[in-house]
Amino acid sequence: MNRIDPNLTRDLRKFGIRDWNDCYHCGTCTATCPLTAQGFLFPRKEIRLMQMGLKGPISTSVEPWLCYYCGECSERCPRKANPGELMMSLRRYLTSLYDWTGLSGKFYTSKIWELGFIIFFALLVILAFILILPPLDTTLTDQGGVKINSFAPPDLVEYFDWAMAFLVASLLVSNIFRMYLRVIWTGTKQRISLVEHVREFWHLVFNFSVQPKFSKCEDRSYWLYHWLLMSGYTIMFILIVVFLPWFQTENIFPAWHPQRVLGYYATIGLLVGLGAAIIGRIRKKEIKFEFSHVSDWLFLIMLSLTVITGILIHIFRVNGMPWATYISYIAHMAILVPMILIEVPFSKWSHLAYRPFAVYFARLKKSTMHQSR
Amino acid sequence: MEEVRIGVYVCWCGTNIAKMVDVEDVTRKIGALPGVVISKNYKYMCSDPGQELIANDIREHKLNRVVVAACSPRIHELTFRKALEKAGLNAYLFEMANIREQDSWVHDNREEATRKALDLVAAAISRVRHHEPLDKRSVSINSATVVIGGGIAGMSAALEIANAGKQVYLIEKSDKLGGLVNHFDLTYPYLYDAGSMLELLIRRTTCHPNVKVYLNTVIREVHGFIGNFETTLHAGTRKAEKLEFGNIIVATGLKPFDASRVHQYGYGRLPDVITSVEFENMLHTGEVLTKAGKIPQNIAIIHCVGSRNPGFHEYCSRTCCMVALKFANQLRSLLPDANIYDLYADMRAFGKGCEELYTTTSRKKITFMMFDQQEELPQIIKSVVPDDPPMLIFFREKISGIGVEVPADMVILMVGVEAHPDVKEIAHAVGISICGNSFFIEKHPKLDPVATTTGGVYIVGACQGPKGISDAVCQAKAAAARVLGTINQSSVHVEVTTAVVNESLCCGCQTCNLVCPYTAIRFDKDKKVSYVNEVLCKGCGTCGSTCPTGAIRSKHFTDQQILSQIDGLLTMALKQE
Repeated sequence: MNRIDPNLTRDLRKFGIRDWNDCYHCGTCTATCPLTAQGFLFPRKEIRLMQMGLKGPISTSVEPWLCYYCGECSERCPRKANPGELMMSLRRYLTSLYDWTGLSGKFYTSKIWELGFIIFFALLVILAFILILPPLDTTLTDQGGVKINSFAPPDLVEYFDWAMAFLVASLLVSNIFRMYLRVIWTGTKQRISLVEHVREFWHLVFNFSVQPKFSKCEDRSYWLYHWLLMSGYTIMFILIVVFLPWFQTENIFPAWHPQRVLGYYATIGLLVGLGAAIIGRIRKKEIKFEFSHVSDWLFLIMLSLTVITGILIHIFRVNGMPWATYISYIAHMAILVPMILIEVPFSKWSHLAYRPFAVYFARLKKSTMHQSR
Repeated sequence: MEEVRIGVYVCWCGTNIAKMVDVEDVTRKIGALPGVVISKNYKYMCSDPGQELIANDIREHKLNRVVVAACSPRIHELTFRKALEKAGLNAYLFEMANIREQDSWVHDNREEATRKALDLVAAAISRVRHHEPLDKRSVSINSATVVIGGGIAGMSAALEIANAGKQVYLIEKSDKLGGLVNHFDLTYPYLYDAGSMLELLIRRTTCHPNVKVYLNTVIREVHGFIGNFETTLHAGTRKAEKLEFGNIIVATGLKPFDASRVHQYGYGRLPDVITSVEFENMLHTGEVLTKAGKIPQNIAIIHCVGSRNPGFHEYCSRTCCMVALKFANQLRSLLPDANIYDLYADMRAFGKGCEELYTTTSRKKITFMMFDQQEELPQIIKSVVPDDPPMLIFFREKISGIGVEVPADMVILMVGVEAHPDVKEIAHAVGISICGNSFFIEKHPKLDPVATTTGGVYIVGACQGPKGISDAVCQAKAAAARVLGTINQSSVHVEVTTAVVNESLCCGCQTCNLVCPYTAIRFDKDKKVSYVNEVLCKGCGTCGSTCPTGAIRSKHFTDQQILSQIDGLLTMALKQE
């Protein structure tokens, strides 16, 4: 039986939920939502669970991840109860529930923990560079560029990249497994066959790469911004983790060379996406940008700084400015490493996995609904 | 017998009648009937020129009967009666034929509708020949008033009348004034203190020179009629006292519902399940504690106990939702860290200040949940798990559709209100009716909400239906104004179309005594015949149609009048065939 827990709402407040009692359940939000569907009703249902403090049903619900926060519901809410922001806060809460290390909850609810973690790893990175730095070579290549590979040997950096990718991925995968246990194992009465698991799998891939649900929101421009940001990041990620020896090069290729074209595309995609989000959050014109949690700003700032330092590395290297290049490189890594460590498994960025998996799990759940009918 | 001279007037009612009934044709054909001196039609008979037309014709053509074929007599019978009186003719020498509601509005064949109009007018003409002039009568008014029930409504009515300088006898069954409000701590929605308010009212009432308060006293029977009632007071072993008075205000209120009837809630079995009345007393003493003497940490409030459920009472008790919100507020102030749960069926917060009370309360960390009052009442059970709160409430939360459990140290049942067990005796004593829910029935729910069908008897406060203090006091003052108005006139008109018993035909079977809804017929033991109190009689005709020997004649509805009306209808219909 689901026990009512009035203290749950007190805890949820730290994840960004404001006044949950303003809602009087007219259902306008659910009626407005372009994404809600039979069997997966939101946001009204989730607000009700929250008001009553029903931790069980909240922790097994997949619905918060099916919401892409277009803000239509909050726009139309006659009580100004901000259902969209409540869903956003629930996603933060769920992220902390999936995480077995308990760090996610700490980062979301305590600024000291979050900033402390970032500063600690930033210092660690700087320290590592100072300690293992080979003798600095300030001479330039024949093309007049900085000899960056002598400063940060790509094979060494790539080992580090792989190690970090493995760490982050294993944390994220274990958390996804915990999400699966909650949503499918606890949250579904019937067992789902392996065949079903395989049959529905393509939804995961499709949703990960295109986010078709996001594009159903009324204002499609944000789907575009988000897609530019995501594709830019993914390309950059692949270039750095998989092709670093080819990407981090001392050669200065002509402008049309794939190394430069891909790099420029990724950078522009990132800048456009980030710009739209930052401007939106500053102007607060759309409801989806009206309330910014610390974690929202931190993510935007850190990613922007990563992109800017990356651009600086490129400019300084091509123009033969060794000291500036090296300092930019250290700064780039000092921001990038804690950002990846904190964001991907524990915070806002984990949605890159939770969202497509949620669509996949929802499809699995739906198959049981058909069976029971 | 003087010659019957009838004037017939057919109304067009603009196009309402004229578009479906050929008024010219009706006027012409009716004019040929015997006794009809004049037959006219006019656009609006009810207008001033229309009435003037009738009055002039009465004077000019020496008419002594008038028929108007127009709308329903409910609407304009009085208008035309007055027109007759203006021209010096008795108002009862008039008959109306309804050719609008019963004809033009409900038919779509003009020819048939015109035929029907002719039938209806012919019937009225046939009837009006047998009409007799009836005289208006009036009775004098005793200026004293009896108020039954010393609650907040009874006292308010009594004070209002007493302040106008008239004598009031206030009869209270229990040993103190104040009624149900005696149990209240604060009132909603403004959280005023009920005690100090009541104390002031009781002091004013008991000290008033024009109010005589009788405690521990009941009334079993009331004799007489408006302006001239009398009764005997019964007060334990004390000598019975006789009272004479002109008006009665009934303010007997309601009583709290017996919560043990709802077995799911375990009232009486579980020590910490208490009623809202008991909780009011707890708040009054300032100590909110469980039976074990502990401060409760989980308090649940359950709405609609005994109300809005066909198994108990179908009606809404109207005040409990707001009292529950008041409790939640008071609890939040007393126990800032306690968990307060409010289980409602529907939150009814109408009226001044009430929605606002809900809004403020909803911001005080109170968990509101909805249950299904019709299908599935919550179940309260004793918890068996150690370290758990002593009680668990199980129910299906209606908005989410999820089965939930609520832990509780204390459960407050918001009991509704219901009629006192002696409501039938009171109704019988003063001659008023009760509805299916045992509330007294008002004369008209909208237009005459405090009067009853019995002249001089008024109902105020909760005995007329569940209501809060403000509404009860409003009704009390309204009834007081009605009583003072009657007293001020010093006499009142009474119904003239009453029933009369022909003593030589009456066999003394007393069937009429039993059927009379106004207790207007009594039996004369010496003469062994029944007689009608013409002041109480409303002329409903029930006795006349029941009387096996035909001894009862209803004035203005005599057998001859009704039979000739039917006769006229059929004769004209046959003629048209």
